[in-house]
Amino acid sequence: MKVSLNWLKDYVKLPEDMDLKKLAFDLTMSTVEVENVTELARQFDGILVGELKEVQPHPNADRLRVCKVDIADGEIHDIVCGGSNLVPGMKVAVACPGSWVRWHGEGEPVEIKNTKLRGVASYGMICASVEVGLAELFPAEEETQILDLSDFDAPAGTPLSKALDLEDVILEIDNKSMTNRPDLWGHYGIAREISALYQLPLADWKPFAPGDVAEFPVVIQDPDRCPRYIGVKLEGIEVKPAPFYMRSRIWRVGMRPINALVDITNYVMLALGQPTHVFDSNQITDYICVRRAQEKEELLLLNDRTLALTKEDLVIADSEGAVALAGVMGGARDSVLPETTSVILEVANFEAAGVRSTALRFDNRTEASARYEKSVDPERCDPALSMAMSLFAEIYPSVKVTAFSDHYVKKLARKELDVELDWLNRRLGKRIPNQQIAAKLKLLGFDISFTSDVMHIVVPTWRSTGDVGIKADIMEEVARMYGYENFEPTTIVTSFEGAVNQLDMDLVRKIKEYLAFRCGLWEVFTYPWMEDETVNAVLQSTEGILKLSTPPAPNESYIRSSLLPNLCRAVAENERYFSEFSIFEEAQVFHDSDYQSPYDEREKLPSQRRNLAAAFAGSGEKVQELFRRAKGVVENMPRLTHMEAFSMRRVEKPVWADDTVWLNLYLGEQRVGNLALLSRKVSMAVGIKNLAAVFFELDLDALKPLRSRTNEFSHLAEYPMIDYDLSMLFDAQIKWENIEESALKRKNRESYLQKVAFVDEYKGAQIPAGKKSVTIRLTIGSEEKTLKSEEIEKCADSVIKQLEKDLKGELRR
Amino acid sequence: MKEKLEKLLREGEAAIRSTKNETELQEVKGSILGKQGALTEFLKEIPKLAAELRPEMGRVVNEAKTKFNSMIEARREELKLKAAEVPADFDYTLPGIAPSMGGLHPITQMRYDLDDAFRSMGFEIYQEDDITSELYAFDKLNFPPNHPARESMDTYWLEGHDKGDAGDKLCLRPHLTGGSVRYLQTHKPPYRFVYPGRVYRNETTDARHERAFFQYEALIVDRDFTFTAGKVMIKSILSKVFGRDVPVRMRAGFFPFVEPGFEIDMGCLVCGGKGCSVCKHVGWIEIMPGGTPHPNVLRAAGLDPDEFTGFYVNIGLDRLVMMRYGVDDVRLFHSADLRFLQQFH
Repeated sequence: MKVSLNWLKDYVKLPEDMDLKKLAFDLTMSTVEVENVTELARQFDGILVGELKEVQPHPNADRLRVCKVDIADGEIHDIVCGGSNLVPGMKVAVACPGSWVRWHGEGEPVEIKNTKLRGVASYGMICASVEVGLAELFPAEEETQILDLSDFDAPAGTPLSKALDLEDVILEIDNKSMTNRPDLWGHYGIAREISALYQLPLADWKPFAPGDVAEFPVVIQDPDRCPRYIGVKLEGIEVKPAPFYMRSRIWRVGMRPINALVDITNYVMLALGQPTHVFDSNQITDYICVRRAQEKEELLLLNDRTLALTKEDLVIADSEGAVALAGVMGGARDSVLPETTSVILEVANFEAAGVRSTALRFDNRTEASARYEKSVDPERCDPALSMAMSLFAEIYPSVKVTAFSDHYVKKLARKELDVELDWLNRRLGKRIPNQQIAAKLKLLGFDISFTSDVMHIVVPTWRSTGDVGIKADIMEEVARMYGYENFEPTTIVTSFEGAVNQLDMDLVRKIKEYLAFRCGLWEVFTYPWMEDETVNAVLQSTEGILKLSTPPAPNESYIRSSLLPNLCRAVAENERYFSEFSIFEEAQVFHDSDYQSPYDEREKLPSQRRNLAAAFAGSGEKVQELFRRAKGVVENMPRLTHMEAFSMRRVEKPVWADDTVWLNLYLGEQRVGNLALLSRKVSMAVGIKNLAAVFFELDLDALKPLRSRTNEFSHLAEYPMIDYDLSMLFDAQIKWENIEESALKRKNRESYLQKVAFVDEYKGAQIPAGKKSVTIRLTIGSEEKTLKSEEIEKCADSVIKQLEKDLKGELRR
Repeated sequence: MKEKLEKLLREGEAAIRSTKNETELQEVKGSILGKQGALTEFLKEIPKLAAELRPEMGRVVNEAKTKFNSMIEARREELKLKAAEVPADFDYTLPGIAPSMGGLHPITQMRYDLDDAFRSMGFEIYQEDDITSELYAFDKLNFPPNHPARESMDTYWLEGHDKGDAGDKLCLRPHLTGGSVRYLQTHKPPYRFVYPGRVYRNETTDARHERAFFQYEALIVDRDFTFTAGKVMIKSILSKVFGRDVPVRMRAGFFPFVEPGFEIDMGCLVCGGKGCSVCKHVGWIEIMPGGTPHPNVLRAAGLDPDEFTGFYVNIGLDRLVMMRYGVDDVRLFHSADLRFLQQFH
């Protein structure tokens, strides 16, 4: 919202030497955020009133004129101009060299320089209204029309800003910072805050007295939606422009002046925050009725939109049908026309939520609806009526009120509150004297009385529509008026009840740090919604997956039941730039099942679990290595992040997995995840073109952190432990699991065998087809003595024999 | 004979010194001390000498033998050292081999920095579910029934769960504060906890607006707590996270679930408060809303607002991270683009 400083001065006498920076700062700290302070006159620097002494044809151009212009600097200047309305004696706006204008009102401002036009020297420029940013205030009928200032009482040489009384300051206020303050949506409300902040008197207003006139017929059918309706019939008016000062004020705070009738309503709204409306009274038949619309009732609005209304919408109607959408916009039928001579002025109050939902339903928000939906109090109709009537009287001296009525069907009660002073002082952390509190709050409209330890407050109507209702609100009023900056910092006192110990939180962090810092994975974030195509490719079913009713895109309505679909997309995207990478994500997944809530019996929340998933992407030629890397990350996670270990089994192949390369992860008997190679088919479907990708996904909520580290110290070996490598040939389908199991049988009977470990596996040249060579590392040693080489050989031989027996292994010599 | 021996010593020493490897050294050793070696030949000569000369000559020859042996040993050590020497053309300018590289998301990093700072002040860390009901997203937080935020243009409601009673209407959480009420309900006061998490808004995205972004809520509820103590808390946290003193100011602001409510600004770290393009020339950057929990919110959690009060802030993590690194497009955070993420170690 834009606020004019001069306009504010109508309501509160600001000191002449008011520091604008301080005003903006104080308003920002205590009331609303002032985003910008602009001196309006700055954009007219160097633009002066000039008087045309002579207007001559241009020697070299038919459409140009050479004007002799007086700007009261002791010289008469030649200025070349293409204006069509130039006549001697006319007063014009002259942009002198060094000033800035917009050529034809377009593009960036350009600096005016002395120049020659078609061979004739020209001092500056005679401007059209659009060129000095005044098109809306002085609409031109054609492009070549020059801004005519002859009607203004300003001699040549007067700065344009002074001639037009534009020496004003505009404050731009962030609308978001006053959504809860319906009283601030006009100049008077802001003036009231300033009056309280600086202890300055606020201008009062006189109630309007209609005198002895006929009752204007109004019926309010829905008092909840329309607590008050004032209708005034005025005769003896005509459609003409409003006085310049009104148009100027309306324009400088960002609206467009139209004609006196419309401008009166806008002026009142900008001044007081109370929307009003005028109807052509010839178009209103019999009476005004405020009622709900009928289903599908049609209404043609002022902006030429035809709406099919609903029963939820409130309309202003006459005996023939709806004429306006209450609180939102007038209709086309009753709008003021050039021949209008009598009008009905509406000053009404409409309930906030109704106006808001109607405006939203038809996507037709207006300045009026924006104010009503903040919850305007019905008492504000009185100053609005008063101001509107005095403006009518000022603009139309012969205007007559011929009918009037004020239906105030639902009075607003002023809120009353008791605030214990002890409570207030404790919450504020300091004691502010009663009279200091009273002085500020009185100027805000609160009535205050004190007993020994309680402050009794009566809230003004304009703060009683939802804004102020509890004593914490009063505390805020006191604190902000005292100034938040004026409270000294205080220390935080609290009791110590033991150290924070949150193993589950720590575990998730340990796992993420393990993946990032030990395993070299990068953490990524993706959205919770998934593309239909990816879901179908990866999960192959949408059963049990929850959907958004208004998704970010039509094909992104499913929200994740698994982290894998979006992680697949992340692999596909990164494949364009990287040939080898690994990433992980931790986030919640959702299922349309297990509805419950431990917090409130009325609530039913679906299954939501925290998952962790990772992708290892690399060349398809190294699938084995890729898989072993992923497996190593999973295998070592429990030990390195201090949680209960999980096991790997083959129970059920995940739908997205390769037929061969997959494992299920178990914690005890509970399945907690999968580790597998993404099948080639799924890879292609999700857009992974070249790389192989191994994924794992884990249910983090199922993992169990250890209360403390559990591995025990074991003594260092006193006698040498020997690593003994053997390479043996096996059938290619023999698994390492079988080899290890067989070799370890010898650990029981032969106490010198300590450990069996995998070194590598080899297929290819020198190895017969269908076979593989596996290198096994035996650790052989004794806790009692140094072994002799015969003893070591004997131990190794026993393992070889076992492998020959169990798995038909052949030692490679 | 003595002269001959001295000559052998001189020549032998030179020969040993000139060897370049173990094989050559063995050869030289053989030529001096071997069965046919030069010194062995001297020994063979001794019996032929006059008896009175024999002891003296024996001693001298044995001395020479000892000398040769130690010279050979010394040379052997030298040769070993030399063999282990790194060639002088070793290129120490080759790039180092990087350790296994990986990293946490910059928002996770900021979150953990804040966690550490708050934990050092005795705060617990809390986490809650992403899907919530209208009951906790709005009703319990003092949002009026027709508050704009409830509408589908602002909130992601779930299909098939977007009608009916507040407890049945489900959405992706539009803020964290509803979850905080869950915490209050299930714990005993006084409370002191932080609650990091992702929230969702149904809006058009651009470089400054996202549909999914991160908040970090901190809440203290205690018997007596003034908002000025809250300012001290925020100042300490920001100073710890940014590693220097950060000016903080609180000004009037409005949010349904606090009363009084504040907009909390931090001094612009780019210009030091003088005014620059980052802070739109005001020297301050709006960083978080905050305030005293609204009595209705405390009541929803089963607390007596006359007895309890507190302080609440809601830090926009994305904004803070953008400021820490100068990131100019919030949408990069959810891009999963490694070219972006690998910049944050």
